[in-house]
Amino acid sequence: MGEYMQRQTAMSAQVVLFCRYLRQAGFPLGPTEEMDALNALCTLPLQNQDNFRLVLRAMLPKSRPQQKKFDQLYQKYWDELTKAVDAKIKQEEEEVLEPRQEQQPKPQQPSLQALKDWLYNKQNDEDEEEELASFSTQEVISAKDFSAFGDEDLEEVTQLIAQIGRSLATRHNRRYKRAKWSPKLDLRRTVRLNMRRGGEMLHLAFQKKPIRKTKLLMFCDVSKSMDLYSRFLVQFMYAFQNVYQQIETFVFSTQLHRVTEQLKEEHFEETLSKLSEEVPDWSGGTRIGESLLQFVEVFAPKYLDGRTIVLIMSDGWDTGNIEALTESMKVLHQKATKVIWLNPLAGNPNFKPSVEGMQAALPYIDVFASAHSVDSLREVVKFFRKGRKIRQIPHS
Amino acid sequence: MPAFYLQTQQKHFIQLYVGFKYAYLKLSSQNMENKELAKVQKMLHEQGYITEDSIVMSVFLAMQLNKPLLIEGPAGVGKTEIAKVMASALETDLIRLQCYEGLDAPQALYEWNYQRQLLYLKMDEQSSKSVEEKEQTLFGENFLLKRPLLQAITHHKAPVLLIDEVDRADEEFESFLLEVLSDWQITIPEIGTIQATHKPYVVVTSNRVREISEALRRRCMYLWITYPTFEKELNIVRGKVPQIDAKLADQICGFMQEVRKMRLQKIPGIAETLDWAMALTSLHIDHLDKKIVEDTLGIVLKDWQDIRHTQDSLSELFEKVGVIQKLS
Repeated sequence: MGEYMQRQTAMSAQVVLFCRYLRQAGFPLGPTEEMDALNALCTLPLQNQDNFRLVLRAMLPKSRPQQKKFDQLYQKYWDELTKAVDAKIKQEEEEVLEPRQEQQPKPQQPSLQALKDWLYNKQNDEDEEEELASFSTQEVISAKDFSAFGDEDLEEVTQLIAQIGRSLATRHNRRYKRAKWSPKLDLRRTVRLNMRRGGEMLHLAFQKKPIRKTKLLMFCDVSKSMDLYSRFLVQFMYAFQNVYQQIETFVFSTQLHRVTEQLKEEHFEETLSKLSEEVPDWSGGTRIGESLLQFVEVFAPKYLDGRTIVLIMSDGWDTGNIEALTESMKVLHQKATKVIWLNPLAGNPNFKPSVEGMQAALPYIDVFASAHSVDSLREVVKFFRKGRKIRQIPHS
Repeated sequence: MPAFYLQTQQKHFIQLYVGFKYAYLKLSSQNMENKELAKVQKMLHEQGYITEDSIVMSVFLAMQLNKPLLIEGPAGVGKTEIAKVMASALETDLIRLQCYEGLDAPQALYEWNYQRQLLYLKMDEQSSKSVEEKEQTLFGENFLLKRPLLQAITHHKAPVLLIDEVDRADEEFESFLLEVLSDWQITIPEIGTIQATHKPYVVVTSNRVREISEALRRRCMYLWITYPTFEKELNIVRGKVPQIDAKLADQICGFMQEVRKMRLQKIPGIAETLDWAMALTSLHIDHLDKKIVEDTLGIVLKDWQDIRHTQDSLSELFEKVGVIQKLS
């Protein structure tokens, strides 16, 4: 009985300590959250251990990944605490009224230390902030090089890419169109509409800038030299395909293949394995020039017009005909709104576009950027939006 | 140990550790019985919402603490339903704000009924009222079109405010929402600041089309709902389609569990299960076989690819469903 009361008395302290423990594990919990949790605990009598857990679980985690993490940490924390407290109580039965810090069990040393630091000097603050900053898995993934990706990162990457795709797909047009409602009045139409009502401005007409539907043409290099990256670039294409209505996708190494239909279908994993089977020269040599020329000759009339953005993803290592490359790039540059070249190698600080193919293509490229991580892709999207001409995106 | 000791101890420690003045807890509510929780569960159950403990707890706390509840999870698992059930359990109104891309403040807050104002002015042209008087009437409540957020704030009894699919609205709207959710007041330049008469119970749902900002998350309690387990789904089906054949219900739920494990574009939710159960019951079917499933698959799966995929592996699915039945 004594033991039971003992722990209940210490409850709020324990909750606060538990919150600190979670904070060390990267949860963004402040005093407000701690207060909320304690308030929530007050709404229920807590004879029931499960209720206690459920209350904390409802109050403390703020997203799905955090919730999963919470489930693990909760078990761990209280298991160890129970063990330690039991041992402690047997030792010092009479020290019931001692301050809680000293009762803190050994296995929880880190969180106790943190508490002490926090109470007596605030030097530890910086450490804590660092941990908070690195908690979000998305942040970590953003800066990670594509070639270092494992299977487990896939889902998160897809989400990030989908975000990028969405923001790209929702650009606004410059011209105005009629709208049912918008903050902007169409004065001319309003006046006309209300002539029949004796000039009383009863009915208002609005106008807005509709979302512009830019067509997107993607070329992805799947040759041997791009092996490390092509998996993720395909994923990039795949994600785009799902959010972007008007898109055509091609892959090339020595020849050009249209994969739009394949990417529309099925699940990503399947698509990837299917693609690498179906495309005969997957991971083969590179002939960018011939491949692009093939596009210009066969597909261009159908797919290329002034509202198209051309996106080429390649490292520019070309073993084929440079003249063909120059020529086809020229055509693309003339006909498309914009030509963007994403080079995964450009993420390397020492990179210089000295490859012959790259050199030949450079004059015809509007935006040249690295595409080695999600961050860099995001950077690219910014440039899409600003609509700048001929820029090389600096990489930091 | 006396209860009063417990209270002082608690206060003491919070003061010590948190160090904030507002750390004094409302300890009076400590005496509340566990019955409250059971009541919520019963209420949910009576409204036909079959649920698990974590959901009951979240709904209970959301009502007790009057804190916004953020619900995430795949489509069709009953996120919106929770708000509806809450409203009828609290015997209050449900005010719904459906979010979409391009939703902005006027559509969520208020608009002036411009046409009515004009007509009124026209009719009042001959009167001898002063300009000030006219203005007073013109910008009065009569000419105000209340949109969901203003409605929720000025409602006569604390309503349940459902902000549905908040991830569809853009980020600017989200920050605007944060402002309303924290202050519970809305400023209309012509009238002044309107303070909430009652703080509404807020339920925010999201399908994770876009990640919701950290700030909004921190304001809310978080609840993740996923597809139901076999037992839970069976309970739901039996509850909502009482006339269903027991064996058929078993088979349907088993089948759905397996279908959800497949790689599909659109994974069917509880709504689809119920539709299917109702359809099959009204056809007076008491068991599943391959032909029936093939004919009615369109109720469950809404994507052509998925249907084809499922049809291909139908016999395999049946085998698995059979296994489940033997176990249960």
